[in-house]
Amino acid sequence: MVITMSRQLLHTPEGVRDTYGEECARKLAVQERIRQVFRLYGYQDIETPTFEFFDIFKKERGSVGTREMYKLFDRENNTLVLRPDMTPSIARCVAKYYMDEPGPLRLCYLGSTFINRASYQGRLNETAQTGVELIGDDSIDADAEMIAIVIDALKSSGLREFQVELGQVEFYRGLVEEAAFDEETGEELRELIERKNFFGVEELLSRHSIPLHLRQLFLKLPELFGDITQIRLAKSMTSNRRALQAIERLEKVQEILDAYGLGDYVSYDLGMLSKYSYYTGIILKAYTYGTGEYLVTGGRYDTLLTQFGKEAPAIGFAIVIDQLMLALSRQKIELPLKRVETMLLYPSEQRTQGIALAKALREMNLPIELICMAEGTTYRDYIAYARRQKARTMITFADEGDTIRILDPMTDHMAVMSGDEYIRNIREKREYGS
Amino acid sequence: MRYLTFALAKGRLAYKTLEMFERIGITCEEMKDKDSRKLIFVNEELGYRFFLAKANDVPTYVEYGAADIGIAGKDTLLEEGRNLYEVLDLGIGRCRMCVCGPASAREYLQHHEMIRVATKYPRIAKDYFFNKKHQTVEIIKLNGSIELAPIVGLSEVIVDIVETGSTLRENGLTVLEEVCPLSARMVVNQVSLKRENERISRMIRQLKTLIQQQQEVNQ
Repeated sequence: MVITMSRQLLHTPEGVRDTYGEECARKLAVQERIRQVFRLYGYQDIETPTFEFFDIFKKERGSVGTREMYKLFDRENNTLVLRPDMTPSIARCVAKYYMDEPGPLRLCYLGSTFINRASYQGRLNETAQTGVELIGDDSIDADAEMIAIVIDALKSSGLREFQVELGQVEFYRGLVEEAAFDEETGEELRELIERKNFFGVEELLSRHSIPLHLRQLFLKLPELFGDITQIRLAKSMTSNRRALQAIERLEKVQEILDAYGLGDYVSYDLGMLSKYSYYTGIILKAYTYGTGEYLVTGGRYDTLLTQFGKEAPAIGFAIVIDQLMLALSRQKIELPLKRVETMLLYPSEQRTQGIALAKALREMNLPIELICMAEGTTYRDYIAYARRQKARTMITFADEGDTIRILDPMTDHMAVMSGDEYIRNIREKREYGS
Repeated sequence: MRYLTFALAKGRLAYKTLEMFERIGITCEEMKDKDSRKLIFVNEELGYRFFLAKANDVPTYVEYGAADIGIAGKDTLLEEGRNLYEVLDLGIGRCRMCVCGPASAREYLQHHEMIRVATKYPRIAKDYFFNKKHQTVEIIKLNGSIELAPIVGLSEVIVDIVETGSTLRENGLTVLEEVCPLSARMVVNQVSLKRENERISRMIRQLKTLIQQQQEVNQ
């Protein structure tokens, strides 16, 4: 009975999971490398609360439907939500603390986001996201910088084959304006184009009378993806000023990315139209093989901060760490990991020497797992443990004095020397190595 | 070359689809052996893999990228509501999603009355009644023989697929309203279409031409 009770306690709720052991080490290593890239581009860390007032993530600002948020109430009965998305939080934070700073502000973050999904989807409800926001800069160079960071960040994780796909919501919005569709029709058409539902588009257009050149362009829109030539094609099909400006902006971004030497990682899809109304310009997504879902999403949102009372253009993206880790593992890409490889074992009567030696080795930046032998255990138990942990070195004390035994648990090879000598060896190896 | 993986909805639709595929040069000899107990069929030469799945599961396989391409009825796509590219209407397996019931039930659909609706497609039924008709209804999910529900008094009407309508007639039921027309669709995983743009786009073009030719023949 007691056993069954405690077994029941082992479960985690649907949609969340533990990360441990090597997987956890890999995830942290990838996150650290990505953060390093953000720093190299001059971005500063920012942290916002895990839960906020519901209003922050409401429809016109959020990327997740009300029903898919985790909601809770505080003592005053305010509705709170676990953040489903980082961007609105950061926009709020910036509007509050940097109200009078014209910018540009370069911010980066790493944190969990929470989406309360329907059951049995095989998807996580808590996912780690890391990303950047560049606020107060509406230039093309800012657009290109965003894409360059995405590429460098993904490369730093070890990923080699991937594409960043760019769209421009202004292109579509310009055309809808010209066609004078009402909001409902524009939305219906957007959904059809986004789903590349060619015949659905055709059917919808047959119900409306619009100029021929617009009809042809809307029909073509689901196909307008691929390299830069595809969007040049679109350029020849319209004279709509807003749409043309959108394309020219993409062309210039491509030029700048060529200057970065990253042009090859980029492709285009003019039919990529985000359903999130806060995007106002370029939008981007990145994908690779091994996972059928996008690793990165982002875009320009020049009006979001206005909703919080600060007039500032902005652009940003988020990398979904869990998708990235899935892709890396499916592609069998492994980053070198720094593991704890040395164990130091001491019986309680040699505690002083044990702690002193561990301290000396740690001062040389060598990670040490220090273990005091429990009563009734033998060396054999710890050697077995060292093997399970894949430790490379196990240090034990000889019966008296400063002499230590250095054992490789895998091969059983053993060396005997004094503690000082061992420290000296490590130091020499370090100096020689560097 | 990486495999292109197809998920086909089990049954008649799968065979019709394979016939169409064959005519554009996508073949799978392995699949013609009906006694085979294999779950996955491969054409090594052309780099294709095929598997049969329950119709409702096809969109799931494709959304997650376990299959690049899927063939399934519009009914399952609507019901599952997955994130997919819906690139082609294959024009086969044509039928309609309808509200059906005894002729006397027509009255219930006129005055926003609270009625009971039995269906295999709760999502489609809900969308139709709530968002198109603005009628609040109680939906009862069943798994088969939906026609029974109004006969034995479980519900006032049903929402179901109608092909010829003969089952309805034999049981004293009739089509009361049409929800939407249905047919088989080709769906593609969003990342796959971009990654394998050339191969998949070529296939779409070829199928489109084939479908047009068939339509011209039929006219």
